[in-house]
Amino acid sequence: MQISKIYPMKRIAILTLAVIIFSTNIGHSFCGFYVAKADVKLFNKTSQVIIAKNGESQTVTMSSDFEGDVKDFAMVVPVPVVLEEKDIRTVSRGLFDKLDTYSSPRLVEYYDENPCYDRLENYNYPMAGAAMDMKMSMKEMSPVDTMGVTVEAQYTIGEYDILILSAKESGGLETWLIQNGYKMPVGAKEVLDPYIKTNMKFFVAKVNLGNYESQGAVPLSPLQITYKSPKFMLPIRLGMANANGVQDLIIYLYSQTGRVETTNYRTALIPTDFKVPLFVQSEFGEFYRDLYNKAWKREGKNVVFLEYAWEVSPMQNLFCDPCVGDPPMVAELKEAGVDWLVSKGQDYHTGGNVYEGHVHFTRMHVTYDREHFPQDLVFQETPNKQTFQGRYILTHPASGDFTCEKGQTYIQDLGKRRWNELYTYQWLTGRDITAHYDYPKEFDTYLNKKGDQGKKQGSMIPSFGSDGPMKEEKNKNSMLVFFMSMLSLAAVFFALSRKRVQIETSK
Amino acid sequence: MQTGSLPIAQNALKTAFKPVKDVLNWFKSDARHYQILFQLAFLLYGIFALEWDIPIMRVNIVILSCLAVQAAWIQFKTKDWTGLKSALVSAMSICLMMQANSPWTFVLAAALSIGSKFFIRWNGKHIFNPTNFGICVTMMLTGDAWVSPGQWGSDAMLLFAVGLTGLVVLLRVKRLDTAFAFLLTFLGLMFARNILYLGWPVDFFFHQLNAGSLLLFTFFMITDPVQTPVSQKARLIWAVAVGVLAYYMSTKWWSSSLGSFYSAAPIWALFFLSPLVPVLDRFLKGEKFSWSK
Repeated sequence: MQISKIYPMKRIAILTLAVIIFSTNIGHSFCGFYVAKADVKLFNKTSQVIIAKNGESQTVTMSSDFEGDVKDFAMVVPVPVVLEEKDIRTVSRGLFDKLDTYSSPRLVEYYDENPCYDRLENYNYPMAGAAMDMKMSMKEMSPVDTMGVTVEAQYTIGEYDILILSAKESGGLETWLIQNGYKMPVGAKEVLDPYIKTNMKFFVAKVNLGNYESQGAVPLSPLQITYKSPKFMLPIRLGMANANGVQDLIIYLYSQTGRVETTNYRTALIPTDFKVPLFVQSEFGEFYRDLYNKAWKREGKNVVFLEYAWEVSPMQNLFCDPCVGDPPMVAELKEAGVDWLVSKGQDYHTGGNVYEGHVHFTRMHVTYDREHFPQDLVFQETPNKQTFQGRYILTHPASGDFTCEKGQTYIQDLGKRRWNELYTYQWLTGRDITAHYDYPKEFDTYLNKKGDQGKKQGSMIPSFGSDGPMKEEKNKNSMLVFFMSMLSLAAVFFALSRKRVQIETSK
Repeated sequence: MQTGSLPIAQNALKTAFKPVKDVLNWFKSDARHYQILFQLAFLLYGIFALEWDIPIMRVNIVILSCLAVQAAWIQFKTKDWTGLKSALVSAMSICLMMQANSPWTFVLAAALSIGSKFFIRWNGKHIFNPTNFGICVTMMLTGDAWVSPGQWGSDAMLLFAVGLTGLVVLLRVKRLDTAFAFLLTFLGLMFARNILYLGWPVDFFFHQLNAGSLLLFTFFMITDPVQTPVSQKARLIWAVAVGVLAYYMSTKWWSSSLGSFYSAAPIWALFFLSPLVPVLDRFLKGEKFSWSK
């Protein structure tokens, strides 16, 4: 039987070529300079959580940007064990601000050179601070012992009165909470049973008015708890209720071996490394919010987004690229719960402190509701050391004289590039771009003769022309990749075309 | 009666379509062709629709390493070069399931996968599922490799595709029993615990059921026809055992310095219970599997 080898070969070859082309990139040696960042406060009802994991020991820090009368504040969190007093503390408010600033998506800028003559480039170093403004609804409570509910422990820590409750069944716990003035959301009852049956305790915090007043009227400090448990998860289900709509959560994770990811929900990367029009600079916050919301809908509303992943071990060199705000210092890492760094004294030459230990930082952004997230988030620590960040690129045009031939080509390419940026902007955010049709034509006055500047006919998907520093390595090896691919194809071909040979066996 | 033109036309048509028919016949001659094609489809889906970051270089390295190790064994032992197709199936599985930072980790995984078929044998049959062995041992040895159970998501079309293609392959290799025994055991226990005992609402269970990684494991990993027990009764016993152990590992949150077993429990359960297969084969006889019809 004649076996035709042409058909499978062609298909695989075309696919391989397609993949090679997609992965080839034009890299720059810079990743641009930071211009702006996207605030957490642009999202509705955003909570923030830090989780630091050291084997079975976990430290969880919960943001509490409560606005209102502190008498009305109350927080209920399921925890795996009865916490001891030494395991609970408050931390500084600025900690969340720092982490948000360090890891939020950023806008960077490049400057084109004028091809008609050599110029020194102008570099800017603008830095903006970030203000956090999140809301979390809270209730008040007071301790009472009934209905199968046991108050396992009671502490006063910082400005908080804390109870650790255990319950025998959900009805009793619900009654207890309601009787203490805690309004349970309608859907919360259905998760109490599973938590109680898996031996979870309930950490309940309210404000101790005496302690609070002594501080003066300041915002509430974040609460931090440490416990030992093999369960690496975040119980988001308790926060959901049927009619409450969608909630937003940013999770900062610290781990030792590499990136953290969810095992029961898919991780999607936020769209990154796209060139966007210059006018995004004045509206970057809203731009990112729209981009995120569109991505969230596109992915089916049931994914966890990765916004940042980087190694932040004290002894390595590159904490961020480009940097938005200062990278976390060792003191801040410790405050966030990173307790595995070992001090090794001081460096002989620089006098700086030396620490042993690796720290990896992951920032997840999840927007969840009851319908799309029926399970609590379950995490696993992976050895994944690849970096990731949300980065959007402005490219400022050159200035000066464009009358030389190269200058004319530059202006034409500029027009095409700007159309590309505009359509990218539209695809990313879903916004109407008709008001910006002048943007690609802005430099037409420099043209000696008129011509079509390459306006594309409604191309909806932006091309993959990006400037990611992380993608630079792929370019260097493109010849090697091509060669290896051809070798693989030949080998696959050979393997698939083998015929079974009748072997004479002798006994 | 008409003669002449019609038979000529029919012959012309037959000649034109002969190459197509030949290719189809060739394709249908070995179940591994189906496996490779489907796995390739899933890989492309993952790369383009799910935006996995799988560099083409990694695919090349895995394919070439698997084929090389298999070729060495064929050259010096079996002389049956169609064995290369099994190596291709293993290579695709590694690309689909395993992640790692360093390309050398993939070379190791490939070598361990294919090598385990030759060096860990009992009574003329390899004990471990090659890819399963390669991935688990690489995870334990290097600390550089991992499995992402969430990488598939729960898109309905994907699940349908996995189920359908899995059925096609399993019907060919007659291992539908293993798949269903495992799946029903594992999901049955999960349902009983999470919905009946703990009281989670029913969509908690559906979310579990819709995991692409679970279905991929069920239809494409645990059902390796060469490694699974030869007798049907033994296969059912063994698949149920894997289901029970997988359930236990995922609910007890087992993790150790070797890895977190709970997240990829079925894969680890298969690994730890594979040595049971030769024991079952000893007592429950059956017909040995072969790829060609």
